[in-house]
Order: sequence, then C-alpha cells, then structure tokens
Amino acid sequence: MDRKKFINNSGRLVLLGGLAYLTGSIIYQRKVSASGKYVWQIDPFKCTQCGRCATECVRDLSAVKCVHAYSLCGYCDLCGGYFKPNTHKLNTGAESQLCPTGALNRKFVEEPFFQYTIDEKLCNGCAKCVKGCGSFGNGSLHLQIRHDLCQNCNECSISRMCPSNAISRVPIETAYLIKGDFKKPAVSTPK
Amino acid sequence: MKWLKIILFLLPLTLAFHNLDAQQRFPKPEFHTHYTQPTPTTPEPRGVGMEFFDVLVLLVVLSLTSWFAIRKRSRNGILLLTVFSAIYFGFYRNGCICTVGSIQNVALALADPKYVISLYALLFFLLPLIFSLFFGRVFCGAACPLGAIQDLLIFNPITIPAWLRKTLGFIPYLYLGLAVLYAATGTEFIICRYDPFIGIYRMNGPHLMIYLGIAFLLMGLFIARPYCRFFCPYGAILNVFSRFSRRHLSVFPTKCIQCKLCTTSCPFEAIDFPDEEKSKPDTKTNSRKFILYLALIPVLMLAGAWIGSKSHVFLSKAHPDVYLAELLISHPELKTDSKNIDIQTFLASGKSLETLVAEAQVIRDKFKTGSWILGAFLGLVIGLMAMNQVIFRRREDYQANKGNCYSCARCLDYCPVE
Amino acid sequence: MNRKLIISILLVLAIIIVALVVIDVLNSRPDKRPDNPYEYSVDQFKSVDSTLIKYTETLDFTFGDLDLRGIAFANDRLYLVEDNFLVIFSTEGKKLAKSPLPESPTCVAASSNGIYIGFANHIAQYNLDGLQIKSWESPGDSTLITSLAVQDCYVFAADAGKRRVLKYMTNGELTGSFTGKRDSADLHGFIIPSPYFDLAVNTFGELWVVNPGQHAFENYTFNGELRGFWEKTAMTIDGFSGCCNPAHMAVLSDGSFVTAEKGMVRIKVHKASGELLSVVAPPEAFEGETHAPDLAVSPAGDIYALDFERKMIRVFQLKK
Repeated sequence: MDRKKFINNSGRLVLLGGLAYLTGSIIYQRKVSASGKYVWQIDPFKCTQCGRCATECVRDLSAVKCVHAYSLCGYCDLCGGYFKPNTHKLNTGAESQLCPTGALNRKFVEEPFFQYTIDEKLCNGCAKCVKGCGSFGNGSLHLQIRHDLCQNCNECSISRMCPSNAISRVPIETAYLIKGDFKKPAVSTPK
Repeated sequence: MKWLKIILFLLPLTLAFHNLDAQQRFPKPEFHTHYTQPTPTTPEPRGVGMEFFDVLVLLVVLSLTSWFAIRKRSRNGILLLTVFSAIYFGFYRNGCICTVGSIQNVALALADPKYVISLYALLFFLLPLIFSLFFGRVFCGAACPLGAIQDLLIFNPITIPAWLRKTLGFIPYLYLGLAVLYAATGTEFIICRYDPFIGIYRMNGPHLMIYLGIAFLLMGLFIARPYCRFFCPYGAILNVFSRFSRRHLSVFPTKCIQCKLCTTSCPFEAIDFPDEEKSKPDTKTNSRKFILYLALIPVLMLAGAWIGSKSHVFLSKAHPDVYLAELLISHPELKTDSKNIDIQTFLASGKSLETLVAEAQVIRDKFKTGSWILGAFLGLVIGLMAMNQVIFRRREDYQANKGNCYSCARCLDYCPVE
Repeated sequence: MNRKLIISILLVLAIIIVALVVIDVLNSRPDKRPDNPYEYSVDQFKSVDSTLIKYTETLDFTFGDLDLRGIAFANDRLYLVEDNFLVIFSTEGKKLAKSPLPESPTCVAASSNGIYIGFANHIAQYNLDGLQIKSWESPGDSTLITSLAVQDCYVFAADAGKRRVLKYMTNGELTGSFTGKRDSADLHGFIIPSPYFDLAVNTFGELWVVNPGQHAFENYTFNGELRGFWEKTAMTIDGFSGCCNPAHMAVLSDGSFVTAEKGMVRIKVHKASGELLSVVAPPEAFEGETHAPDLAVSPAGDIYALDFERKMIRVFQLKK
C-alpha cells in the first residue's frame, strides 16, 4: 500500500514539475502577455480581394465587412466600386450595381459628389467593390474584420485559406487597421 | 558605425512614411454644402477583463465540481454545473477559447519565437490539469462545454468490448501528437478546425462543422461521450494526469458491499471490477511479460521515430506553402491557370519560386524534427499501453478507474452504502 | 433497441465522420479550392481587335529598382525624374547625365530653353545640363503639381491639389490661374478625385487639359476660357472609365492625343476631335490592374511610356 502511495505521490510531483517547467519556460521567454488579448486583423495593403472572406468565415454572413476610409474617397459620380464595369446609366438601379447583395449605398452630396456608405447588415465581405475601387478609384473601400461580429476563433478559418497571408493576430489595442488614418504603429516588442 | 546602422535601418521607414503622407495629403473634395465627412466606425472587441472573468468562472466550476464529486457526493450538483457550462461556455461564450484548443496555443508559444500567448489562454490550459492532479478529471465532469453537450445527450449507451475500447483509446494520443505537430510548425490548429460542437453552440457555422457535430451527437446517443473517449486530445493528457491524482471521486463512501449496482450506472465503463481469486495471474509469467514489454518500449520508440521521420514529407503537405511549392514544381503548367487564386496570388506577389521553395524547405525541416519526435512519442504510448495490460493491481472493491473516470458522479447515486 | 441496428447506425456515423474530414482535407488543398464566386472581372474589355493595334514595342530601357515619377521628351533627349534624381537619356537609352534633386519630384517638362520639374508644391527650373537655375515660389501648401507643359514663354502647371491650372512665365512669375469653372455659379470645374491631372500644349499652340472626373479633354485659351471639349465615358476601347481617366496624356505633332489609363491599363491614340485612332498597347501588355504609365512623345511620333510596375521606359513605334 505504501508503495502505491509513493508511486502516486512521486508521479504527481513529476507532472507538477513538468507543468511548472513548461509555464516557467513560456514566462521566461516572455511569450505570455498578462494584459494582452489578440484579435484577428486584415492588412488591407496585403489583401488581394480573392473573395474568400465571404465564403470561409465560420459565420453565415462573414464578420469581414467592407469599410470606407472616407478621407481617401474621391466622391466620384462614376464609382468603380459601386457600378458594374461599363455601366451606362449612373443611377442606383440594381442592374448597374456591382455589389451582389446591394450593401453599398450611394447618396448625392452636391454636384458632382456622391457619398458611398456600407450597409453592414447586407455586406458579405466579398471584396468585389474593393477590387473595383482599388483598380479604378482611390482604394478607399477595403475589407476589415468587425469585432462586434468576429467570434475571435482560436484560429481564424479565413486566415487558413487567405492566399496572401493578409490576416494575422494583433494585440487588441491595434485591432483596427483602417486606410487613410492608418499610421504604421511603432515596432512593438512583445512582453 | 552603430549610428550608421541605425540610420540605414531608419531610412526605409522614413521613406515609407513619406509615401504614405503623399497619398494622404491629396486633399479631399471641397464641399460647398454643409457636408461633414463621416469617420469609419470601429466597434470594440470584447475586453480582456471579460476573458479573465471566464477564467474565474472556470475556476469556480472546477472547485464546485471537485466539491460535489468528492465531498458532497451529489450527482444533481454536477448535473447542474454541466448544464451551466453548456450554457455559459457553450451557448453564451461560443466556445472560444476552450481548454481543448489551448493545447495548440501552448505548443505554438513554445515553438514559434514570435507568437505570444495571452495569460488567460495559458490559464485555460493549466487549471484543469492542476485540478486533475488533485481531484481527478473534474474538468471533464462538468466544466468542459464539449463534454457537457455529450453528457446531456446520453440516451441508450451500449457496452463496448474492452479490446475495441483500448484500441480506439490510442486515437486521442495520435490526435494530440498531430495537433501539437501542426500547431508547433505553424501549419494550422486541427483541433479547432474539426471541433464538432462549436457550430452547434454558435448555431451557425460551416456545413462541415454542423454535420460533424450532428454525427457525433447521434453517435453519442448510443456511445456515451464518443468525442471525449476516442478523440479528445486534452482528455489524453488528463487521463495520464488523473492517474496520479491525490484525491479522487470514490464510488462508495465507506466500504464497498460488492453489490455491483454501480457498474450498471457508468455509461463509460470506467469502473474497474475487483479481481477474482482464480484469475490471479501467474506472477512469474507476468513479470517475464513485464520485462519483455519494458524492453520493447525503446524498440517501439525507435521504430516510431523511424516511421515518423519517413512520413515527414507526407505530413508537411498540410502546410499550404509546402503544398504550393510542390505543386508549382510538379505542375508548372498551373501557372497559366488564371482561376487558381492561390497560384495567381503567389505569382503576383513578386516572390520568386526559389524563395518559396526555400521557405517550404525550412518548414519541412521543422516537420522532420517534429515527425520523429511524434513517432517516438506514439511508440512510447503503445509500449506503455501494452505494459499497462500486464501490471497487476490488486483490487478488492468496485472502484472508478482514475484514468478514465470523468467524475460525472452517476455511480454515487447508485451506491446503497450510507 | 436492437443491438445490431445500433451497431450498424454507429458504423454508418463513423464512416460519415471520417468521410467528412477526408473530403474537407482534400478539398482545401491549393489546387482544389473553389474559384472566386465574387470575382470582379474586366476581362471582357481587355481583348482588343488586333487590327486596331498600329504600334509595336521596339525598345525597353530598364533602370533597376528606382522610384520613378515622370518623363518628358525634348531636344532629342529623354528627361526622367525619379526619387530624387533627374536623369537624361539619349533616345537609344544611353544615360547622358544624372543630377540630384533637393526633394521628391512629381513631374517634368522640357523645351529647348530648359527643364522644368514639378515638386509637390512648387516648380524649379533647370538648365539643359541638369543644373538648377531657380526654384520658383510655391503657390500654397495644398498645391500638388502633377503635370507641366511649356509653350514659348509660358509654363502651364496642373495643380491637382487646388484643382486649377497655373500659368507661369518662364522666369517663374505666376501670371494667372483658372479652375475650369465657366462662371461663378459653377460649383465645380476640374473634377480630380485622385492625384492624376494632366495637361499639354500641342504644336498648334492649343492648351488641352484633361478633366479626369469627366473623362474629358478640354481646350482652353491661355487666359482660361473654354474653347471646346470632348468626353467619352466607356469601358470599351473607344472611351475612358473609372473615376479619373485618362491619368496621363501627351500630344502628337498632328494634334492627336496619346492617352494612358489606370485601372485597366492601356495606351491609345485619339484624334483631336475625340475619335479613337489606334491602340498603342492593349491591357495585355501590362501587369494586372496597375498604375497608368506616364507618356512622352517625340516629334517623329515615337511614344515613350514610363512603366511604373516594370520600372522601365517602353518605346512604341508605328508599325511599318
């Protein structure tokens, strides 16, 4: 009976020691962040608009949405992100809209400027408008992960399929990368 | 010299800033009407404080489960906690981050110099293990949302023959090894990818996740907790840890009266029978077998390591870069396939095939090391499992198997002893 | 329940689970992934009737990894500005001179009297050897000079930042500017959503300004009165598309326009009246959807295109 107890105790000690060693080495290498939380983020400058954000997100309607960096927008009448290529009528008719879900709204501001806004309830993150805007316009439309919708999966299932590795984990403080006001953050050393 | 280096380092940075400024400085349209330009909204993610609240909830659930299982001996208490965990960790928190998946975060933190694990993820990994060393698998009993949903849906469990149970019991170790290998090489998190119940908890998800979840739940009607017993990689670790637990749920409170009632209560066949007098094995053959198996372990480990290192090329194909590099070498004609997103993106990135191949080689080298370690580990597992067969432990009473028991406390209600 | 039935159900479920995982693994490999269901494609407009292509690429000069900005042709020389140098080439691509610039240039123009280089918010005058003569006073901080044209004693500058054309004397004196508004009630003149705004003076002394937001070519007197214009919005080969095209243009000695577009990159020649005359380089000649090349033309009609992606000057000549 004593032998059994001895094996039990020493086994427990060894396993506890193992856990302590593992934790210690993670802490020693500064691989743990006590105050940190990591969220997923798209680098709009790496994104190639492959359409997978719309199809690969674990949510039915992707947590990736098109965002509009208004400060870069030219407020064009002929918006490459709003209209289908070679559309003839610059109106809001469904047949001339590029967006497959009709999530992009066009509003007249003043001659000749139009404001474009995104209806996030409809946007599926397919990046069709991003491609159109990037090719023919200023690139003010781009994709970003919306954190009120993102489940913050342990591994983002879009990032697994992203062909340009544009999705990465970032500290919660720098969750959003929006073009325009985006300033490259100083190189931060993980603690 | 040092300053020169710093300047050289900073120069491209300032240039980058310059370009950025040039892009942003282009003035926006001058509006004559009173139009104010909106700013893009940035909804905040859930704060880090809430994550630590989850850790606290986990700690409380684990403590309560231990208390219910060992002191209070209350199945109802544990049932209540199970329902709570399914609702809180499952339906409310939507399952991420979960303890089972945290294995991969820990593995990646140890292997990848750039990856930083958050403290709460580390605690999610550690707490259940520490509890298992003192109170057994209380985490499985009530705290694990994956276990909870299966536990609540046990309908008509059938008994599984011991040989099958033991053979299938090898899968969790294989799954654990592969998950660690793929996480450590930065390939992917397979536990999360094939997590069967997260889609059900979120009531939303890709078809694969939902179908997998339904299949497991249907299976769970007849095989109690199929995922926990035959797949869960964290369960494999807990199984080992729990064997050395200081205290553990005991079927009977004072003395076993050999009524066998408890054996019918356990849907997991985790209650060991007392050994019959005549079945006591011949000590001599048994110790000979023991020594033979002990000697066999290094052989099995070597064989495993050999098989592992031979299969590293195959295993590394799961990494997209390695696969892409191989694909471009073996099928160069695919470069003209304008519909292939991955190949076109690679070609447009300006990266040369040589760079890609070099990167793939680095990853494959990691797999080489990882694969033989994985092989040796699996060899050790097989060896220990075999050795476990011939270790004779005297048992006079019906008692829970500390490795397999989930501390669900079903048996406690059945025991007539006061 | 019948134990056999249960076991067969379990076996079927086990097979389903294995099959689901195997199918998922096999289908997520890079050569088996599905096509983009939301592809934005302008491919149907990329194919060009080959009989329209009247030019052929005869020469390329590459420069290595430089940050190219603009190109001009005069005096049988090519003047190239990059970040931060002025480089002078012979028409064969031989480098004749290279002189440093004080800051990052945006565009260049040249005549027999000198070289004019646009920087973000001001212009500087250089002699033909590349030495600075005078840096002109900046007309304001939000100015962004994107193009220059020289005519006798005048230098015209396209100011995309303030959406106006500036008129200078060659000595640097600012003598006027116009915004393209026909009268004060006009809300807008030049519509410039992105920093592409080009102008040129043809051999007949006519000042032509691109109004990129309208896909229009507008002819102004030197005092800024609109004399005439043409515009053509279309993604097909005879027009211009996107928010701001053509991004660059140059005029041939017969008064026709050579145009370069961004988005779907192509170089074309339009008559002075606007009809499409010929295609110089179809979209296939360029990589993807990229920047429009800057253009320069020789009096003989050779077209020099500065390809920012490939970092080279590409020379196009009429097919014999």
